[in-house]
Amino acid sequence: MEEEKKPFKPRGAWPSAVAPGSPPSPPRLPRSPPVCGPQGPPKPSERRSSSAGRASLRSGDIRNLWSTATLLQPQGNVSLAEICENFDDEGRDVGRIRRQKSQTFSMKEKLTFTPQELEEQALLDLELRGSSSIQGLLEKGAEDINPEAEKCSSESLINLSKHIPHRAYWTEQQNRLPLPLMELMENEALEILTKALKSYRSQIGKNHFLTKELQRYIEGLKKRQSKRLQCPS
Amino acid sequence: MRMELKQGSFLWYLYLDKIYCLLSLRNVKALVEYFHILDAHRKDTLNDVLFYHFLHHVTNLKSRQIKIVFDMLDWMCVGEIGFDQFYVLVCILLSHQNHLEEQFMYRHSRPVFDLLDVDGELNIDASNFYMYRFLFSIKKQELRELFRDFDITGDRRLNYKEFKLYTIFSTDKSGDKQKTVQEEEEKQKEKETEKEKEKEKEKVKEKEEEKEKLMSMFMKKKLQTNVSQKNVLEKLRFRSGEHD
Repeated sequence: MEEEKKPFKPRGAWPSAVAPGSPPSPPRLPRSPPVCGPQGPPKPSERRSSSAGRASLRSGDIRNLWSTATLLQPQGNVSLAEICENFDDEGRDVGRIRRQKSQTFSMKEKLTFTPQELEEQALLDLELRGSSSIQGLLEKGAEDINPEAEKCSSESLINLSKHIPHRAYWTEQQNRLPLPLMELMENEALEILTKALKSYRSQIGKNHFLTKELQRYIEGLKKRQSKRLQCPS
Repeated sequence: MRMELKQGSFLWYLYLDKIYCLLSLRNVKALVEYFHILDAHRKDTLNDVLFYHFLHHVTNLKSRQIKIVFDMLDWMCVGEIGFDQFYVLVCILLSHQNHLEEQFMYRHSRPVFDLLDVDGELNIDASNFYMYRFLFSIKKQELRELFRDFDITGDRRLNYKEFKLYTIFSTDKSGDKQKTVQEEEEKQKEKETEKEKEKEKEKVKEKEEEKEKLMSMFMKKKLQTNVSQKNVLEKLRFRSGEHD
């Protein structure tokens, strides 16, 4: 196929077919991307990637199943409110909860949300406070616990230990993406962005603000990944 | 060279509905997250460099083809791709990967037509269609036949109605092809099962023949032993008679 060097022609300047004064018409795509409703899992013979996914890693099963499964219904007997109550009263965990939340939601916090999304995020935050504080309690260790609150925390830890095996389930139920999928996405994005950084450096130079911005972003992404690896789920 | 998604990449794990050629809400949610991770400059868009490296990483497309795709999707000529365009591209890639190109063009004929209508003249030029045919796996010969059979107005361009007719026809054709392929597969399976049955029958026959052989050999040996015993007895009697 021959290389076609056409003169630059902005798409917006539609030629004679469009009436004068009328704005150019982009392809008529709906504002929100069209999606399909819930559907059953495909037949094993039709799913060409499932066998390869299963052969690689155990996390491949989760990624495959997750992308093809229908939405699950929460079936746990314990309500999130019960978990939240143990930690809302203590107060001293709120700061840690927020910091821990920022590790998982650092990307989302930087996005510009619409008011509706902010409300939804606030609701999610309230619901997630319980599950994220589980991680916080496990991470802080015995040294940080005050002797006065030790009894309360030990009781709450006992309660929590019952829910730890289901943490991955609750994480998924709270509309978060499964961790193996997040890891795959971030690893792939890191590879892509690292190559893009090389292009930036060669084309616009190291000192350009876009190059620096991308570099900082990649470093932030790597830090987040390393933190997640240090904190076992 | 046929366009392929990189095995094991994130897009490779997404599931495209076979009837509507769209992603489910869950998959779109994951795609949104993926897009935001790639959006390094926090503009809810991907510039040409990020887009190039993304497509280069997840597919086997050449640089020229990637630039063509970018120009096609950047319909507002802003030098950046938003999530809407990104979603369209992912659906095209997945439909290609799953051999659903005809179904995709049939289901989304209007957006596809608008994408291919690069000049905005409400019709598709043969040269433009030729440029983008790698996205929909249309061969050169098929493209020539397309313009020959569906250019009803005779202006060597396809308007939307002509294009829609083509998509309907190609889906029917692909449906027939799939049926014939399935029938052939079933026939082959039947043949294989018949062959296996025949083999089993042959094995059974061979076993029976062996058994018969063994039985006949056993009988022969038995007869031989009987005959030899008789001879010995007769000899003994004869000798005893002589002594008497």
